[in-house]
This record gives sequence, structure tokens and C-alpha cells, in this order.
Amino acid sequence: MKKLLICLALSLCFIHVYPADFPYGVVSLEDLNMKVYSKDTSANAVVLQEFGNTRISSGDGTPLMFEYHVRIKIFNASGFNQGNIVIPIYKSDNERYEEVSEIKGSTFFIDHDGMMRETKLDPKMVIRENKDKHHNLVKFAMPDLTNGCVIEYVYTLNSPYRFNFRNWYFQDDIPKVYSEYIAHIPGVYNYNTVLVGGRKLTKNNMELERECFTPGGGVKADCSKITYIMADIPAFVEEDYMTAASNFKSAIRYELSDYVDYRGIKHQITKEWKDVDYDLKKDPYFGNQMRKKELFKTQLPALIAGQPDALIQAKNIYSFCQKWFKWNGFNQIYSVDGLKKAVETHSGSIADINLALISVLNEAGLNADAVLLSTRSNGVVNNLFPILTDFNYVVARLTIADKTYMLDATDPFLPFGLLPIKCINDRGRVISMSKPSYWIDLVASQKESKIYNLALELLPDGKIKGNIIEISLGYEAYNKRKAIKKFNSVEEYVENLDESMPKTKIISNKIVGLDSLDAPLSESYVVEINAYDNLNKGQFAFNPFFMDRKIENPFKLMERNYPVDWGAPSDIRISLICNFPEGFEVISKPEPVALALPAKGGRFTSEITIDGSQFIFQQMTLLNKSIYQPEEYPYLKELFNKMVQVQKTDVIFRKKQ
Amino acid sequence: MRLLSCVFFFLLTGFDTIAQQNYAVGNIPPELMVRASAVIRNDELSIEVKDLNDVVIRVKAAVTVLNKNGDREAHIYVWYNKTRQIKFIKAAVYDEFGLLKGKIAEKEFKDESAASNYSLFEDSRVKKFSPAVTTYPYTLEYEYEVRSKQSLILPEWTPNTTTGVSLENAKLTLICKPDFAIRFKEENYAGKVNVTDTEELKTYTWEVHHLKALRDEPYSPSADTYLPVVRIAPVKFAYQAVNGSFTNWLEYGMWMNEKLLLNRDLVPAETAAYIKELVKDIDDPRLKAKKIYEFVQNKTRYVSVQIGIGGYQPITAAEVDRLGYGDCKGLVNYTKGLLKVVGINSYYTIVEAGSDKKSAITDFASMNQFNHAILCIPFPKDTTWVDCTSKTLPFGYLGDFTDDRIALACTETGGKLIRTPAYPSDASSQIRKANFKLDEKGDLNGEMTTTFDGLQYDNRAELINEPYTEQVKKLQQIYTLNNLEIKSFKLEEDKGRIPVTTERMKFYAREYASLSGDRYFITLNALNRGRSLKEVHNRVNKLDISRGYTDIDEITYTLPDNYKMDGLPENFKMEQPFGQYSIDIQEKGNTLVYTRKLHLKEGVYPPEKYEDLVNFYQRVAEMDESRISMVKRIVNQK
Repeated sequence: MKKLLICLALSLCFIHVYPADFPYGVVSLEDLNMKVYSKDTSANAVVLQEFGNTRISSGDGTPLMFEYHVRIKIFNASGFNQGNIVIPIYKSDNERYEEVSEIKGSTFFIDHDGMMRETKLDPKMVIRENKDKHHNLVKFAMPDLTNGCVIEYVYTLNSPYRFNFRNWYFQDDIPKVYSEYIAHIPGVYNYNTVLVGGRKLTKNNMELERECFTPGGGVKADCSKITYIMADIPAFVEEDYMTAASNFKSAIRYELSDYVDYRGIKHQITKEWKDVDYDLKKDPYFGNQMRKKELFKTQLPALIAGQPDALIQAKNIYSFCQKWFKWNGFNQIYSVDGLKKAVETHSGSIADINLALISVLNEAGLNADAVLLSTRSNGVVNNLFPILTDFNYVVARLTIADKTYMLDATDPFLPFGLLPIKCINDRGRVISMSKPSYWIDLVASQKESKIYNLALELLPDGKIKGNIIEISLGYEAYNKRKAIKKFNSVEEYVENLDESMPKTKIISNKIVGLDSLDAPLSESYVVEINAYDNLNKGQFAFNPFFMDRKIENPFKLMERNYPVDWGAPSDIRISLICNFPEGFEVISKPEPVALALPAKGGRFTSEITIDGSQFIFQQMTLLNKSIYQPEEYPYLKELFNKMVQVQKTDVIFRKKQ
Repeated sequence: MRLLSCVFFFLLTGFDTIAQQNYAVGNIPPELMVRASAVIRNDELSIEVKDLNDVVIRVKAAVTVLNKNGDREAHIYVWYNKTRQIKFIKAAVYDEFGLLKGKIAEKEFKDESAASNYSLFEDSRVKKFSPAVTTYPYTLEYEYEVRSKQSLILPEWTPNTTTGVSLENAKLTLICKPDFAIRFKEENYAGKVNVTDTEELKTYTWEVHHLKALRDEPYSPSADTYLPVVRIAPVKFAYQAVNGSFTNWLEYGMWMNEKLLLNRDLVPAETAAYIKELVKDIDDPRLKAKKIYEFVQNKTRYVSVQIGIGGYQPITAAEVDRLGYGDCKGLVNYTKGLLKVVGINSYYTIVEAGSDKKSAITDFASMNQFNHAILCIPFPKDTTWVDCTSKTLPFGYLGDFTDDRIALACTETGGKLIRTPAYPSDASSQIRKANFKLDEKGDLNGEMTTTFDGLQYDNRAELINEPYTEQVKKLQQIYTLNNLEIKSFKLEEDKGRIPVTTERMKFYAREYASLSGDRYFITLNALNRGRSLKEVHNRVNKLDISRGYTDIDEITYTLPDNYKMDGLPENFKMEQPFGQYSIDIQEKGNTLVYTRKLHLKEGVYPPEKYEDLVNFYQRVAEMDESRISMVKRIVNQK
């Protein structure tokens, strides 16, 4: 205890305007006694202080040196995962790899005698795991965690990849009181810096450091020492139906723009799009691959021969590629081992498969370009300058006459011209072999839509017999096909469907369009439902909302911080005609409903009409937008609320007196 | 069981696998194509014990994948570490007609660490491969050899374990010197082991042929009660510089005590002194143990540490004391050490944990029947069990992770099989009392108290220790009441002899009732709804309800005065051997008391009873959905 106080006193002497790293191990009793974080009482843990420092070392190989230091208050056992630390590091081979060293850690807590105690991390308990070809993991578990303890650790990460200047993540799943990052950037290096997320920096300061970078060979460079501070950062709370959290979490990201080598020659790294275009076109794993000819020398003629219609040619090529390749699970914009290899092995990354598709389309005389994009889980791309590492996916964009089609051959269930929802994310960059590149908006080309047609008859014995037709289109057809193909055969799918509705017997079925991906998928079933034991009771209720029923509102938050992003609009229509036995009358039915979202955002209508001994039920749910902004949220929530409401009301029949 | 055996295997004794197999799909017997997405054509496992510390394991297998769903069977996954080396692996792919399409060399396999999640893992790695074939059907053939420096743990032979896969031929061979004695145990194996003896070698062979693809049937007994399994254990063995021998559970326990546990539970003097001080004023040994358990819960946390003798030896109590963390073995051993300090004897106990109740095989002692360690404290009249990896469970409570199964306790006199406590359905209850006040707009003000005990004690585990805002968010997921707004919420845990969790909440739900014209609809049971089950046509497996429960919900509705009931739903009751369900509705003025009781009993029933269970739950789901409708009173204008 005495020693701690001395440390504290000493550190006071060094405080200047922008203090560098905070002193290690100086934990206050106040922090240890803190019962709850007053700015977020729901926090299981809070980062009290966090400091990072990155410089390019002047040492051998001029590695990037990143120092990290953090102190975390843990309130309860749910925050204990903060004490299990995993640092993922990258390696190219046995010569070029990242390393973590100088790991030091301590847990501070009040012991059973009310004394403050420190347990140090045992360096022997730091595990270095060889994860796979390109990844190592450095793991350690902080000792002696108790409710209310404070943990602190530091480490240094050495990286040979100095083009990837260390990004800094201000916002995390737990709140932070104070987070500070210092970047020392030699004047010979020039990085583009982006501040992501909506939060502002509390402080941002730049100083000059004289001759801080002396890699040898007489090179001496000054550095910019840039300090970024953010205080009182709330925890990031993920919401349903949102795109990548990285789009919204506060962080600083770097991309090397250019640098000057020891001979004084300037190397441009991040360039303008025109330079990127040039490089991509010449890249052995991108442009060169896209231009490859004769990938399918023997097969191509048969796909286009005697077929004057360019669209049919394109469709043939697309479905051929879908069948030929199996996606190996990797997202990439560059081919890995070249398209030849991918063709031989029938296997490839997103880039391998779609670049092959582009190459074959062009070889057939069609006009296809590549579109670079970032998937929804990967975050949105930077619009200000080209950051190629932002992109993780490439698809084909085919132009026939004045129509364009977006194609992704990596998924065997996608119809021609439909991108998977994961690709519908802000903007994509069209890379053409003949023109400068340009941005396009990535929007769903089709809706998620479904039509139900039911013609039923309620019989006096309480059974319902009739036909149910379900037509799925766009993304809905895609989803349905995938669901059906999960079974070994259509028979097994129908059997399962039958079994999952114990009161309903499927007498016969007909499924059309299962393998014609461009057509709607239509399922029709003749069914017999054991609805009522008998109709002898004077009165009974019938709920017509048994298709696509919403039992509860999916939106539960009072308000939203981030947009609701579904990727595609949706359109669900139900039409039900039901004959009921003579001798019964309807004494009550749900009232007609017509609700709309502002600015044509969507509509819900539902109506039941009675005509003699027949009732007709029509319902329509339209959600016209892919993305609803937080200000539209209350309307959206209320629309769903009303839908749930309406679906709880019944049609009530009574035996005529 | 006899019936099942007939359905599943036709053992063709004397039939020998042809060395050069033709993988043409046309050769697969039609009955093996039914419900199959993949067919195991051949699966040969050969174990050759050359010496106590030199065991060669060879696998030669081929699987035909019929469609995309079968791709998951075409995975090759071979793990290795310092004492288990891969000698070679190779694979080849054949087309529908059995023609060779390509060969796969060892360098094309991915080499990864076998650690998953957060584990301080030392050296286990895996080589894996899955072929990229897009035209179905295709056949993957593979072969590998692994050399292991131990003979204690020999692989279990489970020829077919998954649903949707049929099997043509499988064979297990054990080759050893005549003096290498083994014990073996066959389960659901219709044939007889074939043993051949020569002067140098002894060979044991087991074979199965033509197993049809199984379906996934809900409420089935654990798969090892009906699928063929052969387990082999050595009488004498070597294991990482530890030699040993056991032939039964008693000896197994002795061996564990001597080789893996001896003196590892010594607690540092400082901690020992602290523990003595901690319990010095407590007389009842059970309460002493409780205090110590709570000390461990407070001091330590679970971290998977796969270090030590192949993951079988706990890290020492002193290490756990110093680090404040450990895996299940380390934490049990530490707690045992602490109890010893105050003179309380306890048993380090190993068990197969998981929601399936898997017991140790009573007449066959072998290593690989367990995956977890718990502590058994044998008080004279009251054997108490604790799981030391939980920071929250009450002293003496195991929950459904290790309940009701035979575990092995390592006592001072050797291994002893003991059954862990069961939680019967009538003592696993959720009892709720609620008051719902509805106004004429349909808005609801409600309050309710729910208690959970037995197996249901843990129902709110996800909420315990969570901050209030987080609890509120999760409650909105648990209670599917539309527009639910929690006004107040409190969870209390009574960790006494019979642990009980009590939940109290007050809430508001806008538009709980639906208004339509002059009608007013209320769903009577919005809190605890049954879900219907899937039917299974031509079910094969027995109906196994491994755990039951009792739920009682009593809701008192206060209804708006300006509506009157339009007929009252009738009371309802149904009874089956496996359970009862009843609805009781009483009207008193403008109040309505709704009582729902559901009791599901544990037990094993013949397969055809499953249909009754489906109908039972279907009825429950319907009744739980039922609404009452009210109509507006005609008010006489004065």
C-alpha cells in the first residue's frame, strides 16, 4: 500500500498537457470500491483507462511497434470474460510474422481482510497457439478475478506489416471512461486516416517530433505525433436487423497513402481511383485473371452455339458456372491460385468463381465487368478515397443492350440477376477493363415476396378440406428452395411439412419450379384439416390468420439508434375463400384494417367479406423499403403492433336460430 | 430392443469385404438409399497394439455422398499431438460410376489447432479435408495411419452415429500379442466377435453390414442405447510414462487416486488457515462445506486448461489457489483439498455431462466414458453433490447437466459407482400467480409472482447477476406479450436445501386485448404457451421423456365493466400415462380466474405412444391459444 502511494506521487511529477501512457499498477481504492458505473449502471465491466501507442521502429526491418495498456474494472461474474484475453496475430511464413512480447498483467482486488491485493499474471501461463497457416493466437487468463476487481495488462505487438498501421477501436461492448491513442507517423509515410462512427473525439492534437525515424542509410525523418482522445464512450449495443457493427462503432482506421524510401523515391500506395484501376487491371490475381481466355475451351461453344439471344447465352454460362464451381468459403477480391487451378479443382473463392464467370461471359462476346463490394457483415466501404482492403467480395455486372444484371455464381440457388442479401450493402465499385471505374448503388433487384391462395371448405363434420397454393418469388423463392433442398427429396420435404402440422393431412402435393431458378416457386397442396370435433356447438370461432401469422412484435426497443436494414423490400399477399355450411351465420368478424407507413414506406391491409355461406379474406403486407431510418422506427413498430392486434381477432360463427 | 436389432442389421457372417471395392452407386442396395444423404460404403478401423507404448491405428473408409446434405459426411478430420503422430493420410474421389476422379495428397489437408473457444490449450492439432465436388453422387475414399504412444485409451467403435446416413460394411480389428489381455464390451451388436490366434498374434474382429439410414425422431432415447458400439480396454497399459492396470471400476478408481490425484489436493498453508478461520463458528459439517463451496465459487472461475496428463490430471490445488481459475478437474480437486482442511471427506467424481443422461457402463471400466468432474460429499445421511465450475448454482444442486446418471467416485478405497440425484417432475415446478387488470381500451396492468424449483430452479439462470436493463430486455424475449413494458422486476434465489427461485414483476401492456367492433378479444394464456410437436410417421424409437415438469399458472382477470362475456369456454381436462393437462375457468362478477396445469412425467414408453404425445401437445397448444370474446353491454340511456 505504501509503495503504491509513492508510485502515485512520482507519476504526478511527469504529468504534462498530453500525458503519455498512464502509470502501471496505480489502482486507486476508489476504483476498487466502485460498485457500479454511474454512467451506465448496466455495465458488467468498464474500461477505466486505455492507452495505445504505435510507431514505426528505426530498428532492423523497420517493424511497426504497437504498445497497448488497459485497466478494466470488473463488477460481476458476467464481466469475467474481460479477463480471458486472446490476441490474434498474423503470419506470412517463418520469416515474416507478428509477435507479441512484454506481456505483463495484474489483478487488483480487496481481499477478505479488506486489504488491497495484487496477483500478477504468471508469464508461464501465457499460451501461444499455432492456429492455422496464417494465424497465431496469444492467450492468457487473468488470475484471481473476483467481483469488483480491477485488471490491468500491457503488451507490445511487433509487426512487419507497416503498411497496415494499427487501427484503434474506441468503442467496444463495454463502456470506456477514457481511451487514448498516439500515432507517431514519420514524415516519409503518409496515411489516410478515417474516423468511423458518429462520436466526436474529445481531444485531438498534433506535435512534431524531430528526427524520430532513423532507419539507417542516413535517412532521418521527423514524425507527426498525433494524439486522439475519446472520453465517456458508451458500450456498443447491437440491435436486430442491422448491418455490420463496425459501421457504427467509433474507431480510427489508417490506410497507407504513400511513403518515401531510403533512396528518396516516393511510392504511392493508396492512390486515386484511376491509379487503382490501372493496378487492378494489371494485377496478376485480378485483371490478368479476368482477361484469361479459354477457361472452358471445350464447354463454351455448346453454351452459346446456335443461340442468337445474348440473354440466353448469358443465362447458360451463368448456370454452367454455378454448377461447375463449389465455393470454398473464402471471401476475397483476388484470385488465390489463379482461375486455371480453380477450374481444375472445381473449387474457389468468391473471386475465383466470379472472375471466371466474367472471363467466360466476355469470351462469349458479352459485356461483363467486375463489381467490388463489401458484404453486410464486413461493413460499408470508404467513399472518400480508394481503400481496397475495405472490399471483400466481387461479383459480375453484365450489360445487354441497356439492361444490367448483377451476377454471383458462387451460390447454386441464386437465380440469374439476383445478388445474395449479404451483398446488398451501400455501394460497389465497377471495375471495367475498358473504362474508368465508378460507383453504383447496391440495391435488391427483386423483393422478398409471397402469395398465398387458399380455397377451403368447412364441412359439417368439422373438417376443412381444400387447396393451398403458395407462390414464392425473389428472395423468398431463393430461401424456400434452400429449405426444400435441405431434404433428400421433395417427398421427404412434404412428409416433414405434413408431420409438422399434426392436425393437417397433406393429401397430395405439386411443387413446380424447384430447379428453374428464374421462375417463381409454386407449391400446391390438397389438405384436410381436423379443425373442429364437430360443429354441433351453437357457436365457434375461426381465425383466418393462420398463414404467415405474427404472434409478437419483433420490435421491442422503445427507440432505435441504428437503421433497420432488411436488404430487400417485401410483399406478402394472402387470399382465402372459404365456404361454410348452410345453417351457420357470421355474427362477428375482424374489422377491415388499412394502415400505411409515411412516405409510401409500407402498407398493411386486411379485410373479410361475407357472401352468403362463403367468406373471403384478403390481406396484404407491403414493406417497400430495404432500410428504415431510426426516425421511421416508431411507425414501423406500430405497424407491426397493429398486425399482431388484428390477428388476434376471430371470425365467430353461430348456428342460425 | 430385440425388435430394433431386427430392423437395423442383417449380419452376414462369413462375408468378407472385397479388397478392391467398386464404388459405383449402382452397387448400393436399394434399401440403403432410403432417407440417406450419404452411404458409408466401407469403414475399417484397425488397432494394432505393438507394445504398451506403441499402438498403430489404421482407418480405411469410403463414403458415397448422394446429395448436398451428405457433404457433411465427407469430412476427414484426424487429430494429433506429441504422443499421437499421423504416419500418413491419403484420399481419393470417385464419380457416380466408381471411376477415379482425383487423388488428394497429405499436403492438401488443412493443418489447424484443435482448440476451440477460449481454451488454454497446449498442442493438439488437427488435419482436415473436405472435397469440393459439385456433381452428385460422388465417393470419398480415405486412409490414414496414426501412431499413439499410449495403450490406455483405445478408440471406441461406433460404425454409424448420425441420422440420414446408411452403412454398407464396417469392421473393427484389434491385433495384439497373445499376452496383451483385453476386456471388451459390445452393445446392440447382434454378431459374435471372431478371434483368431497364432503364436505371434491374436486378432479380434467385429463386423456390421447393411445398416439402414436413421431418422431424427424427437424424444428418442440416447443413441448409444440402440446403435452398435464396441468398446475395448486394456488390462495393462502405458500412459505418458505412467504404467498401470485395472479391470473394474474399483481398480480404476485406485489407479486414478494413485497416479493422477495423489497429493494434488494440498492447499497452501495460508489458505488452509483462512479456511479454518472461515468455518470455525459453524458446527454442522454440511453448512461448513456449503461455506467452503461458496468461497470457491467466489474465488475461482472456470477456464478450460487442457494441460497435464492428456487432460486427465487436474492442475494442483496450489495452482488453482494461486491463479484463481481452473478447469472442472482443477476446481473439483481444489474444493476437495479445502474440505479436507476442515476434516470433511469428499470424492473426486467423474461423469458424462450433458442433457442426455449417459451413465457409466457398470460392468465395463474404461477411460473414455466421462467428460466432466464433479464433487461428491458423503455426509452420513445425506450425500451431497456440487459442480465446482458454476459461480452461481446453490450448494448441492446439479441441474440437468449431470443429474440422474451413474458416475464414478474416486473414494479412498477405490472407484465406486454412484447415481447422481434425479429431479422428479412433480418436484420440478414452475408455479405462477398473476393478477391482470384490463381496461376498456384493452390495456393491461399486471403483476405476478412465479417460483421455480427442481430442474426448473435454473430457468432464469440467464437473468441472474445481469444488470436490470439487461434483465428487462431478456424478459421481453421470455414473455411474448405484445407491447410488454416492465414496471418492476425482482429475482430472488433461495439457495437453501431445496433451492427456489422467485420472480416478481409488475408490468403494463398496451392493447393487450383486441377490439373489433363491439367485441373484445382476450387470449387467456399469454404467459406460458405449449408448442405443438412434429409428428413422426412410422416411428421406430421408443418414446423417452427423460425429464418432466409441472407448471401451474393461475391468472385472475379483472375485466372492464362495460363488456360482458359472450359465453364462457368450457373447463378442460385430459390425462395420459405421460402427463396431464387441465384448464379451469371460474367467473365471479367481473373477474375471471383462469388456472392452467400441465404435468409431463418422465418415463420410457413404446414408440406408438409418441403419437399420443403429439396429440396431447397439439391440444395443449390449441387450448393455450384460445381466446374469450366479450361484447359491449348495451347501456340504457337515462
